[in-house]
Amino acid sequence: MESLESLAALFPASRFVQDAAFQAAFESDGLTAFRAKPRAVVIPETVDEVIQTVRWCHEHSVPFVARGSGTSLSGGSLPVADGIVITLNRLKRIIRLDPDERIAVVEPGVVNQHVSDAAAPYGLYYAPDPSSQSICTIGGNVAFNSGGAHCLKYGMTSNHVIGCKAVLATGEVVTMGGESLETVGPDFTGLFVGSEGLFGVALEITLRLLPKPECFHTVLVGYESLQAAGDAVSAVIDSGLLPGALEIMDALSIEAAEAAVACGYPPGAAAVLIVELEGPREKIDQERQQLDDVLAGTGAFAQRVAVDNADRLFIWKGRKSAFSAVGRLSPDFLVQDGVVPRKRLGEALVRIEQLSEESGLRVANVFHAGDGNLHPLIMFDGSEPGALHRAEELAAKLLRLCIEMGGSITGEHGVGMEKRDFLNEMYDEASVQMMHRIRQAMDPKLIANPGKMFPGNEAPALSTVGLHPLEEAGVISRE
Amino acid sequence: MNDSAQPETLDQFREAVLSYEQVLVVGRQTKPALSSTAAPTLSTERLSGIIQYEPSEFTFTALAGTTIAEIEATLSSRGQFLPFDPPLSKAGATIGGAVAAGLSGPGRMRFGGIRDFLLGVRFLSGQGDWIDSGGKVVKNAAGFDLPKFLVGSLGRYAAMAELTFKVFPAPPSLKTLCVRCASHTQALQRMSAVANSRWEPYAIDYQPSEHHVLIKLGGPSEAIESISQEIHSHWPGEADDVADAEAIWSRVLSLEFADQRLDTLLKVPTTGKTMVQLCESLQDQSGVCVHVSLAGQLTWISASDAARLRSIETLLLSLGLSGLVVRGEHDCLLGRQVSTEMQRAVKTAMDPGERFPRWPTNPSTD
Repeated sequence: MESLESLAALFPASRFVQDAAFQAAFESDGLTAFRAKPRAVVIPETVDEVIQTVRWCHEHSVPFVARGSGTSLSGGSLPVADGIVITLNRLKRIIRLDPDERIAVVEPGVVNQHVSDAAAPYGLYYAPDPSSQSICTIGGNVAFNSGGAHCLKYGMTSNHVIGCKAVLATGEVVTMGGESLETVGPDFTGLFVGSEGLFGVALEITLRLLPKPECFHTVLVGYESLQAAGDAVSAVIDSGLLPGALEIMDALSIEAAEAAVACGYPPGAAAVLIVELEGPREKIDQERQQLDDVLAGTGAFAQRVAVDNADRLFIWKGRKSAFSAVGRLSPDFLVQDGVVPRKRLGEALVRIEQLSEESGLRVANVFHAGDGNLHPLIMFDGSEPGALHRAEELAAKLLRLCIEMGGSITGEHGVGMEKRDFLNEMYDEASVQMMHRIRQAMDPKLIANPGKMFPGNEAPALSTVGLHPLEEAGVISRE
Repeated sequence: MNDSAQPETLDQFREAVLSYEQVLVVGRQTKPALSSTAAPTLSTERLSGIIQYEPSEFTFTALAGTTIAEIEATLSSRGQFLPFDPPLSKAGATIGGAVAAGLSGPGRMRFGGIRDFLLGVRFLSGQGDWIDSGGKVVKNAAGFDLPKFLVGSLGRYAAMAELTFKVFPAPPSLKTLCVRCASHTQALQRMSAVANSRWEPYAIDYQPSEHHVLIKLGGPSEAIESISQEIHSHWPGEADDVADAEAIWSRVLSLEFADQRLDTLLKVPTTGKTMVQLCESLQDQSGVCVHVSLAGQLTWISASDAARLRSIETLLLSLGLSGLVVRGEHDCLLGRQVSTEMQRAVKTAMDPGERFPRWPTNPSTD
């Protein structure tokens, strides 16, 4: 095995770590089903140290995984056994924030929420808001094209990244895009975002900022069936409104959220719908009337409008806590994030219910209804022999259901480790081969985050079960 | 277009592409400078039609040669629109051509550009394989985002056949205001103020020759009336309601910026600051006309002839800017170009046999 001596020489001893106890912190990410022991963890503090590390890995053909806070739900930042982990949390400078141009240039270790915090004094914010936004980093968001609750209207991370400087796995440092919303030439920035770390490491990312909406109008609606809630979503969309968020939770997830944070959702609801309009107050004054008229025809049995911002956050609290709350109902769970066409949501939910009954495993549903992005939470007890396997089998069926309905295996978590065996079910062989060739163009030695996205066993990992420690502590949540 | 029959089906398209050793797939060539190459061209003009439109999904899929005009008419009948506002619709531009050129109009300001609304592309690789990229649903994070890469790729990497987009409900009413400014710098300050405001403008354009900032508002009419009043009182005496707004925006979308027809047209991505520098440098030049979109992030330069582009190029290089020649007798790239090993490697990966022409070079900077 390649000696790490010359890599170690690039760092002071405190930032080149081979200590087993310390490394344990990096063995896993938000998908705790997998673990792998890296050979060393390096802690760069400068962009140059990252470049030197990647060049060292290229020269010595040693695989590496760059990671931020490790909140990936698809196992995207799972280490490669015997590879190097490059942890980017210390590259956390907001290099520049220009309110007149509405951009922020940031290092990859900057926490998502910190961008909006820094932009707030100027009335601006960074729109993508994955549920883990208080801890996840922009570098990870870029790698996995992270989503959130506002994607229908605002798009995903990719729609908010206008430029990126990166070191490719070959050691080449490239600058893609720039500081303008517009570009000339193929959109390399767009290709880089969502490449799951397989091309290289983002070093400097230029983000577009938006003015904060002046007003929010948040409505919580209770229904006696999931179908009715799903139909209400279609009715809202068909009315010509474009809500910032449209979220549904089913009875099981309501029960969990209620138990965890007492969010005061309508008792007895089989489903709740959260609709949020946002914009200038005059527009909201008009649109709320329109929304009321639409909702009046959807057979809701309870409806509540947030009276102020605290109340709005209270309504959202139930939704945002749903996943960790499900942890109270079950010792273990898997979460999927497949997408189906919105009009087939009702059908998909019925099928999920059937599959759940067949497998004998409970499934709670929380989803971004506006964009058809499901989040079935498959509950199981990992201490029960064969339970993880059954849960994985059910998860596979749910992914196939999404493909069959013309949707996607992942709306926002990425393929990662978890769904790599399904990429070639969603795309045919020629299409997967094309992606593979592009990957090789960026990384001929296949050393950048190997084992993710593509089917195969490039980087086998140990599997295990359980909540992420931070999730147990309520610090992070899954979306 | 060559004399061979124009393909109408995907099978015919594939056959036609593969019948050439090298070919540049084009739409209706409304942006002629982009297809000025020695390679023969193959038009998608008859590879046309909306294959699927699901208003309640906010998505449609169309063949590459479908005109933007047809798509806009279809969407409009269901109260929806293309938020990225692609130009040259009236001239007959196709949706595939808009993606290949990477052009968005003033409406990009509100919700994003063509890159942000393109969900999926079925394309033919240089080796003749059908490749599916992206998806047909509004949210998808599976695999590499090749659709985005094809935006602005000028037909040099793949032959796009079928494209899927996200669309949005059209605003129920529109209104345009004009704010008179004293200088380019003041115009930029005001555009930034509007862009950062609570007003949610649909477009913020600037006519440097008049020092006029144009603000397009969209939404329920009562709401935009109230916002428009606020804009008037924000710049008292300097803001006017624009009566012939539709005609003005129509000219912008036709990329006609000067009173007389100027033959050469250049797209220059800018920042607010570089936009001001361009406007200041070009304001006294005869035969040159500038129009600004996206609150300063996109500068269009039209010039009377290609010869003027030489001095414009010097200016672009001094400001570190790149340009795309959309119309005119000139190579299509101008100004700063960075070619990387990555670009060459991706070209080799996607089109190893160079069925599609190489990425054009700019002789003056290479």
